[in-house]
Amino acid sequence: MKFKQALGPFVGLLAVAAMSVAIAGGASAEDKVVKIGGIFPMSGNAASTGVHTKAALEVAMDIINNAHPELGNFPLAKNAGLAGLGGAKVEVVFADNQGSPATGQNQALRLITEEKVVAITGAYQSGITLTASAISEKYGIPFLTGESVAANLTERGFKWFFRTTPIATDFAKLYTEFLADMKAAGAKTDTVALVHDNTEYGTSVAGTITQTFKDKGFSLLDISYAVNATDVQSQVLQLKEKKPDVVLMISYTSDAILYAKTMQALDYKPPMLLADDAGYSDPSFIKAVGKLSQGAFNRSSWSVGPPGSATAIIADMYKKKSGDEMDDTAARQMQGFFVLCDAIDRAGSTDPAKIQAALKATDLKPDQLMMGYKGVKFDDKGQNILAAGVIIQLQDGENYVAVWPKGNAANAPVIPYKGW
Amino acid sequence: MRRLLWPSVLLALVIVYPLLWSTPFQQRLGALVLLYAIAASAWNVVGGYAGQVSVGHVVFFGCGAYAAMGAYAHFGLSPLVGIPAGIVFAVAIAAVIGVPTLRLSGHYFSMATIAVAELIRLVVTNTDYLGAAVGLSGPTVSRNVFDFSFISALPYYYLFLVMLVVTLGITWWMTNSRMGFYLRAIKDSERAARSLGAPASRIKLHAFMLSAGLTSVAGALYALMFGLVDPESGLGILISVKILIMAALGGAGLLFGPLVGAAILVPLEEISNNKFGGQGAGLTFVVYGAIIVLIARFQPGGLLALAQRMWQRRRKRIAAANEGADHAA
Amino acid sequence: MSFVLVQVITGGLLLGAVYALFSSGLTLVWGMMNIVNFAHGDFVMLGMYVAFVVFTLFDAGPLVGAPLATVVLATLGVIVYFGLIRHIMKGPMLAQILGTFGLALLLRYSVFWWFGANFLSLPQNIVGGTFAVFGLRIEASRLLAGVVALFVTLGLHLLLTRTSLGSKMLAVAEDSTAAQLMGIRPDTMQAIAWAIAAGATGLAGALIATFFYIVPTVGETLGIVAFVTVSLGGFGSVPGALVAGLLIGVIESLSAYLIGAIYKDMVVYALFLSFLWFRPQGLMGKS
Repeated sequence: MKFKQALGPFVGLLAVAAMSVAIAGGASAEDKVVKIGGIFPMSGNAASTGVHTKAALEVAMDIINNAHPELGNFPLAKNAGLAGLGGAKVEVVFADNQGSPATGQNQALRLITEEKVVAITGAYQSGITLTASAISEKYGIPFLTGESVAANLTERGFKWFFRTTPIATDFAKLYTEFLADMKAAGAKTDTVALVHDNTEYGTSVAGTITQTFKDKGFSLLDISYAVNATDVQSQVLQLKEKKPDVVLMISYTSDAILYAKTMQALDYKPPMLLADDAGYSDPSFIKAVGKLSQGAFNRSSWSVGPPGSATAIIADMYKKKSGDEMDDTAARQMQGFFVLCDAIDRAGSTDPAKIQAALKATDLKPDQLMMGYKGVKFDDKGQNILAAGVIIQLQDGENYVAVWPKGNAANAPVIPYKGW
Repeated sequence: MRRLLWPSVLLALVIVYPLLWSTPFQQRLGALVLLYAIAASAWNVVGGYAGQVSVGHVVFFGCGAYAAMGAYAHFGLSPLVGIPAGIVFAVAIAAVIGVPTLRLSGHYFSMATIAVAELIRLVVTNTDYLGAAVGLSGPTVSRNVFDFSFISALPYYYLFLVMLVVTLGITWWMTNSRMGFYLRAIKDSERAARSLGAPASRIKLHAFMLSAGLTSVAGALYALMFGLVDPESGLGILISVKILIMAALGGAGLLFGPLVGAAILVPLEEISNNKFGGQGAGLTFVVYGAIIVLIARFQPGGLLALAQRMWQRRRKRIAAANEGADHAA
Repeated sequence: MSFVLVQVITGGLLLGAVYALFSSGLTLVWGMMNIVNFAHGDFVMLGMYVAFVVFTLFDAGPLVGAPLATVVLATLGVIVYFGLIRHIMKGPMLAQILGTFGLALLLRYSVFWWFGANFLSLPQNIVGGTFAVFGLRIEASRLLAGVVALFVTLGLHLLLTRTSLGSKMLAVAEDSTAAQLMGIRPDTMQAIAWAIAAGATGLAGALIATFFYIVPTVGETLGIVAFVTVSLGGFGSVPGALVAGLLIGVIESLSAYLIGAIYKDMVVYALFLSFLWFRPQGLMGKS
């Protein structure tokens, strides 16, 4: 083997060595800062969500680290920093999962072993939450997700994984109850078309809904499509032909926007349109095609209370930070973060085992939450059994209002779907 | 003996790297570099040496990854069992599509490989048996040593190193064999080679199949380390492009080109992501993209070729200086 | 034939015309300069953003946006040519893939950095709404894009085959040394070809922005469609790109409607492969 050929590995190694030195270290030994890892999509197709979540968590950090007496008894708002740790500040170390489970894993590893975070939150895409939390489980670091809804996340027998958001089965139940009520009020709800993409999100949610709905006697039409479509005319034409009573959209933002535009172009208005969060909750969606989707129902656990209430103040702070209205996804992640910090506060320590114990003992009441959950209490699988949602409606094409159940409703639901 | 000094030093460095740079992240990074080096070197067989630029090589990568995970998910076996199965699938696919596709010239060939890879990715995305969009997972906890599911990246590093040596060894053997001789002729001018009696189609097909088999091993090893394969990570076009540009950046058609490329691009992407990723401003890829553009613009032949040229020039200067010294003496 | 089927095919033709529109620039550079441009989709994306900026700043639609996008992208094309392309052209195909891939990331995430990750959109009816022709619903914006596609195809084709500039460009593509000996400067011709292609792509982007969403990563989605269209049509054949685009649009729409939307891309790829294997030079490419 000639030397010039062996030059190759030498060049390569030098590069790696140099870079490794560059990336090694970064271990900060301040005990006045509690580092929490936040893995989100900061690039790629889901970046919009990641960026909004970052803004939400930055608002949360502001609330926790500074005194905010105007938020009253909202946990962690009164004092500056975490009282249980002598006023230590909370800092989120954000990492980009680039929409890839492998990158999510690598970043989780880096956050745990290099940045020495005491807990991790994230990661939006259920597949990435799956792999990233596998790493934190191996290292014994708590992982709390505020918004990944795939059912299998809490079915792995993990001890360090917690989830505050309602999951697909909860939403399916919510929908059946809502539709039953609408039927009682005179609407026709027998045939439901499930329009979903073929990603993990789309297929798992559609699957869960199909199971739940079939048991309740709904007749289902499955319209699946490939994510990031360039065109959805054929699907809308199919809907136009089959005339379902309810169209249930399970789509990410890009496809949601395309569907809204295409429905208007082809002059199709389903009698009722119900969306499963995701794309339809994205502020981009509302800005782009909100006026074409008036009357769309959606699920949410977030709604803004009267001025002066904690949710109104938070919504305001968020708007100032991000320029957009708070959406349900970012809000759920923010809530998860508050729960996590509350547990760290109660643990009074950065020891992962103590945080884990504090998480298990969590028992937050509805008035301590920014979301409309019935509370936060984890079962032994790590799932928040008090998670709940309401149905909201985009009545004016600009803002969602809560419309169901009656007890949480600001307005009454309006049918049929108005569209544009 | 002196000729073997430097290579031995380098080999020693590579062997002890994870012991000297031993944080989990650095070890894992090293393992990743080796993994991509294997995949890029495998691609090099057909893309560099044979000059057939396949942009759909991920399909072979996916064969290995899915076979490994499938062995566990469906049959409860160790993922290692999936490796030979993956090789068989990959070589079979290469044989089947190779015959009609290798007839195509240059860019049509590349497009056809993209089409094959995308087609298979779409099929897998809609096939429940292969996990559909969720993909297949491996063992979360190692049942025995054969499950190869470790927390530490160290065992993976050495497994990948062995595999890289094997891959490079096979490539080196091939270049010095009759097949390599034919491939060089074909790459230079296929028409001339044919007119001289070279069985061009058959040789190209064999190179394609060899490359496919090696790439599938890389895919299986990837699945082993990450414990998960889904259509995007196992069959996505980005992977094809990544291994291709690693080979290109280091120097395609050179034995160590892909390794150099991997050693530069993998850490570059990681470091860029670590530094900028969390900000959410897109800087990670602005930096990464800009560096790639600069390298492509100034060294289209690859960095290894540049290093070799620089070394050649230095040797010539030394030789000239020595000669001068001899004359003076 | 049922009425819905006619609607499906009409939609498919309109869709296909759009595909042809943003692919014509790519086939020009691919055929003439043998450049594999992985950044093509992102050029389309840039055209879309120009249209958006025009709307936001001047409240103007594609009448202003499209010409401006053409000019901006043509200028960018020249910069990219002299900055990157002419250097990687000398290299192997790999160098071009490497360089244009890096360029794609650079362009995409520079836009991301400036505009953010949000999905943007022009108002729905910026080019009139949807009108019904014998009961068929046709979006004015897509029809406009389709008509422009025909004109662009015709224009480029005439440019290449009937003008002296075109024959000079083709001469350089055929044999640049011989062309040089005849007094043609290859560099200038290639820069012009690249600029024209980029301009056409910018134009396409501005028009597509009237009915599609705008986001930095949209280039990824559109880029691969352009690649398939161009290779099916035959590298370098602008009429080929038009025919291929229309064909793909119709096949896509029909498959989505008759078999199911998740299969439509599979059908396109399968047919594409079978076609290539049968006729390795594409629909109208050179043998």
